Amino acid sequence: MRVEGMLQRLSSVGAAAQATVPGVYAWGVTVAPAAWSRGAPVLAKIAAIAAVLALLGGVAGERAWGGRVRVVSLWGFVLASALAWSAAPASLGPLRIDAPRGIAGMLGWALFAFASAAPALQGPREEDRLVPGEELVARKGVARGDAIYIAGGALVAAVLQLMGWRAPTAERALLVRFVALATGLAILGAATQVALARHSVRLRQSRTRRLRRAMAVLVTLALLALTGVLFALRG
Amino acid sequence: MQLVDVLAIVLLAAAGLVFVVGESALARAEDLTALYWLVVGVVSLRAAVQIARPGAKA
Repeated sequence: MRVEGMLQRLSSVGAAAQATVPGVYAWGVTVAPAAWSRGAPVLAKIAAIAAVLALLGGVAGERAWGGRVRVVSLWGFVLASALAWSAAPASLGPLRIDAPRGIAGMLGWALFAFASAAPALQGPREEDRLVPGEELVARKGVARGDAIYIAGGALVAAVLQLMGWRAPTAERALLVRFVALATGLAILGAATQVALARHSVRLRQSRTRRLRRAMAVLVTLALLALTGVLFALRG
Repeated sequence: MQLVDVLAIVLLAAAGLVFVVGESALARAEDLTALYWLVVGVVSLRAAVQIARPGAKA
């Protein structure tokens, strides 16, 4: 009941206010440390203060003028943050950002983007029900084993994001992040396909057919493994 | 669960491990090693998906 009451109160404050929480978090982790780092100019500090004012102004403005203020607040916050970073570019060097702070900042901005783009949370809407008094039943639930496949894929994708934060140059760090993102998505996609394939109806003789179909890829994999072993022995 | 399903899961897990090794090599600027492991990972993923897909519907 207490959780429901909290959700009710949260839903009544509006979309801009809901996005403020992750926005302030992202600002605190990524913008403020850059603006107040050693040697940062005054312009970076002014831009950082303007960013947080734009964010908080969106909450008050949404109540006074409606949802259109959200766009102004969002762009004001993002552009002022970008100005703060541009004014103090040295604070964003790979040697100045440690891995936990980088991950926390990435999560903060992702949550802010999600909260800004998604519609505001709403409370229970009993009057909008098409079928009064009855809960709609889901047609199909997610099978228990599927969650394990997806969780495994997500775990590998998360581990990939933890690596390469101490790359020697900015270009190398960007390349590692790009490859980590692409490989993480590939793993998640493959895990989903393998999980979904379990629900297909199969014939007994399909086992041989499946192996024969994958034979070319398996041979390629074996050749790659053999090449790796040969190179390792030579090295 | 058939044996080929287990093989698909093993290949999927191997691909994840290989991607981690490849990305680690990429971060250390060992480009040739990274490329090798990433190609092995992609081929492993492809093999896992092809093996897992049903052969025929009843």
